[in-house]
Amino acid sequence: MSSEALVAAATILAFGIIILGVAFGSAVGDGIVASKAVEAISRQPEARPNIFLFMFLGIGVLEAFPIIGLGLGFYLLLVVANVPALLSHLAK
Amino acid sequence: MKESIGEHLTWTWPLVGSVHADTILTTWVAMVVALIFLAWVGNSYRRPRVGKTQTIFEGVIDYISDLVYGSLGRGGEPFVPFFIALFIYLFTLNQFGILSYPLHLLGFPFGGSPTGDLNTTVPYALLIFLMIQVVAVRKKGLGYYRHLAQPFAFMLPINLVDEAMRPVTLAARLFFNIFVGELLFIVVASIVRQQVMIGPFNLSLAAAIVPIFIQFFNFFVGTIQAFIFTLLGIVYLSLATTEEH
Repeated sequence: MSSEALVAAATILAFGIIILGVAFGSAVGDGIVASKAVEAISRQPEARPNIFLFMFLGIGVLEAFPIIGLGLGFYLLLVVANVPALLSHLAK
Repeated sequence: MKESIGEHLTWTWPLVGSVHADTILTTWVAMVVALIFLAWVGNSYRRPRVGKTQTIFEGVIDYISDLVYGSLGRGGEPFVPFFIALFIYLFTLNQFGILSYPLHLLGFPFGGSPTGDLNTTVPYALLIFLMIQVVAVRKKGLGYYRHLAQPFAFMLPINLVDEAMRPVTLAARLFFNIFVGELLFIVVASIVRQQVMIGPFNLSLAAAIVPIFIQFFNFFVGTIQAFIFTLLGIVYLSLATTEEH
């Protein structure tokens, strides 16, 4: 196995692990926020617009971190290791 | 279409060095758009009767001013126009990426959203940070900085880091949200262009609808992030200026 193939494989694996963590964490966090919002609405339906607003606000603050992780993952994949160029070089 | 992201057309200006031309041009256009919009809405308030324009946008303006009054009290009155203008300006900047692709095709030197460039978001975060320092010092005197050593003196490093991380996270949150939105768009566009076949199934043809959803997502994210930037500015200002118990 050439060193380029090793770099490409390791980077793709690292990208997969980053996406795993990002997707898992943000899904759990969003789920907690949404379930609490549903509980709050069922308890106090007249406060629904306010609760919706704070739910979206919480999701917005929360979603920043997975998106930062995703951005750094793409940076790793496309800029640091430049996997598409490596792959097309290997295919030759 | 823009083939790559994170690369900018640069100009060299005296005294400042190289600047990102596309970011600056897009920011100017967005500034003009936001100013015209704000002047149009503000002009409708001068008439004696409530017009259509005022009725439509009263919701947004009322909402933000309620937030400011709610967290700053009556002393927050001078900051209401600032935060309304900040929200509308950031909203314009975040949504400008949708317009900029056709403009880029027509040969204008426009990039994506200006907030997808760290050089745009860091000054705004620093602006909020410096404004909070100035307002707090004018209100409480230099004794304002005593809160850094509270509740105990050895909490000083932690409080300093907490204070210094605020503009950093404010800038990074806005930048990464907009930047990754554009990055996803370009990644999907490159998948569509490369004609990926999985057996007889053309993945690129199926993926051709995805950019529309990504643009909806970007619209949602841009609105939410503009609002969060404004709201966190209000919250930090209220934390700095309200009286300690």
